Amino acid sequence: MLTEDETRRYSRQIALPEIGVEGQHRLAAGRVLMVGLGGLGSIVAYYLTAAGVGYLKLIDRDKVTLENLNRQILHTTADLGRFKTESASEKLGRLNPHCRIEAVHAAIVDENVEDLLDDCTVIVDATDNRATRLVLNKVSVRRHVPFVYGGISGWEGMTSTFIPGSTACFSCLFPSPAETADEPSPPVLGPTAGLIASIQCLEILRLLVGAPPQLAGRLLRFSGSITAFHMLQINRNPHCRVCGGQTG
Amino acid sequence: MVAKQAEARNSSMSSLIQITVNGLSESVSPSATLADLIELFQEMDHDLIVEHNGRFVFPQDYAATRVAPSDRVEFIHPNFGG
Repeated sequence: MLTEDETRRYSRQIALPEIGVEGQHRLAAGRVLMVGLGGLGSIVAYYLTAAGVGYLKLIDRDKVTLENLNRQILHTTADLGRFKTESASEKLGRLNPHCRIEAVHAAIVDENVEDLLDDCTVIVDATDNRATRLVLNKVSVRRHVPFVYGGISGWEGMTSTFIPGSTACFSCLFPSPAETADEPSPPVLGPTAGLIASIQCLEILRLLVGAPPQLAGRLLRFSGSITAFHMLQINRNPHCRVCGGQTG
Repeated sequence: MVAKQAEARNSSMSSLIQITVNGLSESVSPSATLADLIELFQEMDHDLIVEHNGRFVFPQDYAATRVAPSDRVEFIHPNFGG
């Protein structure tokens, strides 16, 4: 049951037919694994918390640095040198005390990802590297947990939702087995991160309330240099080394 | 590779076809495959996404997919920052 306070807090979204009281209960029961508390993660974490998602497990290994602050709006100048998990927990707890925030200071690797995923029902990619995405994709496929990918570079960004057993997976889209070392950090712009992360949030909220995700099997690209979106259908790759292009 | 590039772009002036690559008009050999075009335009990113006439193409199909006049090819580089 929603309390009176919660009903008022979420009233403007409960008014949406796709959400309603039932959807708000589903959000409150939602359990989300979010990896990365940088440019994308700042926005995703804020919006999911504000929307009343019941449990967020936040994973990040980094501390806040000065060059983060042009876009990572979850962190402030006063947070310089703190772990991002610590900074994030504090802000999100203040934003919405009805949400349970569990922040884990760790790097995600094959050896710990199963435990960290636990019983979360959505995986959110807010990372800044390919290697971690490969780890998340493998556990998504293995455990049949939807994986919401987002990535940015400068004025550009892309996002897609991978539903195991139903759509392409991350490795169908990026099939190279190359395990590259950390790539040099690309230039990044706050609004590009904000836009891609906001679209990721829409997908996550849809998944949690049981509405069909709009980017399942589709890659949405955004170019901020010409302010244009482009959609591309991504089919399962029968040669995929992770999902094998298999259905259900 | 140089020979293949030359073949893809210049097999003979009379037989060149016009296609659009990343929004720009280009003249290429009618026998050019997507694999040839990747070499020709030096799009060697191992995470490259190739869109051919609005369709996503799997990498295993690059060598067998030939372009035709007026085709549109997009070479899309991944965004992995966050």
